[in-house]
Amino acid sequence: MLPSYLTMAAILFCIGLYGALVKRNAVVVLLSVELMLNAVNLNLIVFSKYGVAPSLTGQVFSLFTITVAAAEAAVGVAILIALFRAKGTVNVDEYDEMRR
Amino acid sequence: MFNIEFNGEFAAFFIFSTIIVCGAVLMISLQKVVHMVISMAGVFLGLAGMFVLLEAEFVAFVQVLIYAGAVSILMIFGIMMTNHQDAGGEKVLPLHEGLAAIGALALFGLLFYAIRTTDFPDPLPFQGGEENTMKIGQLLYTGYIVPFELLSILLTVAFIGSIAIARRLPEKINGASGGDNAGIGGGPAGPTAQLQTKEAE
Amino acid sequence: MEFYTQSAWLIPIFPLAAFLLLIALGRSYRTTAMLLGSAGSLAAFVLSLLVLFERLGPDAVDYSIRSFKWIVIGDYTLRLGFEVTNLTSLMLVVITGVSLAVNVYSAGYMKNDERLTVFYGYVALFTFSMIGLVLADNILLLYIFWELVGVCSFLLIGFWYARPSARAAAKKAFIVTRIGDAGLLLAILLLFWYMPGHALDFTSIYNVFHEGQSGVMTSGITTFIALLILLGAIGKSGQFPLHVWLPDAMEGPTPISALIHAATMVAAGVFLLARTFDIVSASEAAMQTTAYIGGFTAIFAATIALAQNDIKRILAYSTVSQLGYMVMAIGLGSVSGGIFHLFTHAFFKALLFLGAGSIIHAVHTQDIREMGGLGAKMKTTAWTFAIGALALSGIPPFSGFWSKDAILTTALDENPVLFVVGLAAAFCTALYMSRLFFLVFAGKPRSGHAAVKESAAVMTIPMIILAALSVVAGFIETPWNGWLSGWLSGSEAVETVHGGSSIAAMVASIGVGALGIYLGWLFFVKKSIGSGFMAAKLPSLLRAVERGYYIDEWYRVIIVKPLRGLGSTLAVFDEYVIGGTVRMTGALTTAAGRFAARLSNGKVQTYGLAALIGCIVLIAVIVGRRFWS
Repeated sequence: MLPSYLTMAAILFCIGLYGALVKRNAVVVLLSVELMLNAVNLNLIVFSKYGVAPSLTGQVFSLFTITVAAAEAAVGVAILIALFRAKGTVNVDEYDEMRR
Repeated sequence: MFNIEFNGEFAAFFIFSTIIVCGAVLMISLQKVVHMVISMAGVFLGLAGMFVLLEAEFVAFVQVLIYAGAVSILMIFGIMMTNHQDAGGEKVLPLHEGLAAIGALALFGLLFYAIRTTDFPDPLPFQGGEENTMKIGQLLYTGYIVPFELLSILLTVAFIGSIAIARRLPEKINGASGGDNAGIGGGPAGPTAQLQTKEAE
Repeated sequence: MEFYTQSAWLIPIFPLAAFLLLIALGRSYRTTAMLLGSAGSLAAFVLSLLVLFERLGPDAVDYSIRSFKWIVIGDYTLRLGFEVTNLTSLMLVVITGVSLAVNVYSAGYMKNDERLTVFYGYVALFTFSMIGLVLADNILLLYIFWELVGVCSFLLIGFWYARPSARAAAKKAFIVTRIGDAGLLLAILLLFWYMPGHALDFTSIYNVFHEGQSGVMTSGITTFIALLILLGAIGKSGQFPLHVWLPDAMEGPTPISALIHAATMVAAGVFLLARTFDIVSASEAAMQTTAYIGGFTAIFAATIALAQNDIKRILAYSTVSQLGYMVMAIGLGSVSGGIFHLFTHAFFKALLFLGAGSIIHAVHTQDIREMGGLGAKMKTTAWTFAIGALALSGIPPFSGFWSKDAILTTALDENPVLFVVGLAAAFCTALYMSRLFFLVFAGKPRSGHAAVKESAAVMTIPMIILAALSVVAGFIETPWNGWLSGWLSGSEAVETVHGGSSIAAMVASIGVGALGIYLGWLFFVKKSIGSGFMAAKLPSLLRAVERGYYIDEWYRVIIVKPLRGLGSTLAVFDEYVIGGTVRMTGALTTAAGRFAARLSNGKVQTYGLAALIGCIVLIAVIVGRRFWS
């Protein structure tokens, strides 16, 4: 079963990556990033059961990841709101401050 | 090729993976942002089911609570706070999107190739399904106590920081300095007014 | 005590210091420059004389000091040093003496030239290099100074670089002598490779080749090295077939023609042969080649000189011819004969060039057909020039007679064919010198040079001194007094008895010399035989001789044209293949830059996409390695 789960995680990760690279709406980009993080979580949990040395460590690490992801989501949305106040848009094409 | 025996776990896996992939694809392809968030919540729930399948009940609960609950709600708030109407009117960049699609597919190809060619040894039997929550708790408070406490600090800092970033700036800072703040100060005035008018509607 | 010999390293320091001061001074200090340059060569001359007098003592041994470590490679150490032998000290006196005379003379000849200080600087640098060349104790150091001398020659030939002909002559001299230099360099490399212990100093060379350590080097290699050294000498001393640069080198200022292209630098080739005589004499084939090249050059250049009309070109071909004598003497095994002729020739040829300079200074032309009747107006020049011409023609008791006679005696003993050739060349020498002298100084003025007057004392005094030397310099070696050859070879002065051959050679030599002068007198003074006699009979031969047997033209057809063709082919290749590649690289870089500039649009997603593609390429390369390795 292990390869199936891993393939599943890879599919999820690649969809998230595509969304993060292509989507114009900043909220959707954030969502895509969450998708990628979830794919990683899935990998951690799969290896905690089907890995060479199964243990609960993978689950603990996935808990940490979820926590960090939650914090990331909160900070991301906050930055998004601040950016929206400054620029009046959530279109990531308009966020080209790095060019200057 | 896949040489998988067709049992109950596989059936469940198949159902959950269908939910997840459909939700992810819908999230990418839907037009309205709110719909996207809802299909995202579906993905999160499907993942939680898959976690249960992998004997990680506590992580599944946390997944439902934090992702399907908190993060989705946070995103909806984010959408509400910003201008969610312009999600449809995206201009198309075919080269960029094509390259991104090729890149993502190539990455998947590489990962798939790696997964298929790796010879995974047979795992030892996994125990800890019954008292999952208690064992995780014991682990967290023994071996991982320092990261756990650090995470609590991280969460506190992140939430305070988020509030600090996202709160509306006091009016006096907005109007106080003229020259160099004009560009920045001028920005918030428009959307705020827009937001207020929309709330009024 | 050999105090002066041990301080011989000071001799090149004086001209070097003069050179450094002169280039530091700038162009405005004209009088200072003259004094400084002359003082430098005077100091060097005095010290050289002291060294020579010390060497004349009965117990003089060769002195060499090699204290300075130059290059250390592993166990091998290349040392630099100087060596004073009898040959060296004689050359030192010749070089510094002629250099002093030329320095003084130039004060008059060049006094109106704008770049006078530069000129004196070059002359000082040349004097330094030439002294260094003579003093060098190993062949590599000699080569360094050899090249420095070549550079000075190049600079001074092209001194009036505003004239296209001077530029062309300078380039020609540099490129043609380069062929010889390459030969010498190859010889040095071969010596380095085959010598025991990679020794390059002359003492080791002497030991290896002279003591009969025949096992060290095969005769083939020895011949090869000797021929390459000969090639170096041919290039520097203007021997056939590399003589073409020397007549063109007369584009330089006349004092330079006297110093470099008559007395000293061109003699460096002969000096090199004398210095490495141990190597050359170890190979019979190389000796034969040397002798025949010398003999052929002597007669060949002498016939060309017959038909020239430019006073300096006549003297230039005469120099080539006389250098041929010296090379021939060395090839016949008579180093002392070659060096003796070098010694006397330096004085009378420098004198002739200075006289020619004096004439050119007065009449502002170099064409002897436009001169005439100058003898009455320029008495000093005429008398000194006559002495030089008689010395060159080999009329006793002038110095040229004794040295030429020494060579011809050797030739008669060793190789009768070369004796005849030498005799013919001597006849031609006498003929062209009388033609030159009578056309310039006798008869009536052929064009209006009303304001001709004798040159200033600063120019005539060096000429008088050189004339005196030209008279007496020959008596250091006569058939009855073999002092020079004994001194040079380091043994006690032995009474060389040539017997009948000497008398025969002397009689023949005087005979052809007198005959040549008499014929010249008939042609150009008495006009009993019309000067157009030859031109009427054999116009094509005359033209061929006048053009130097079309050697330059042959070079143009055989070497320059094919090289040009190859060059233009390569130029096309360069333009379209290499240039195209370069331009394509440039265009590619520009395009990549434009692409990268478009890529850096400040949007995170673009950057992320680029990072993704980069990652995939990296992973693909790493993973793909297992398939193609």
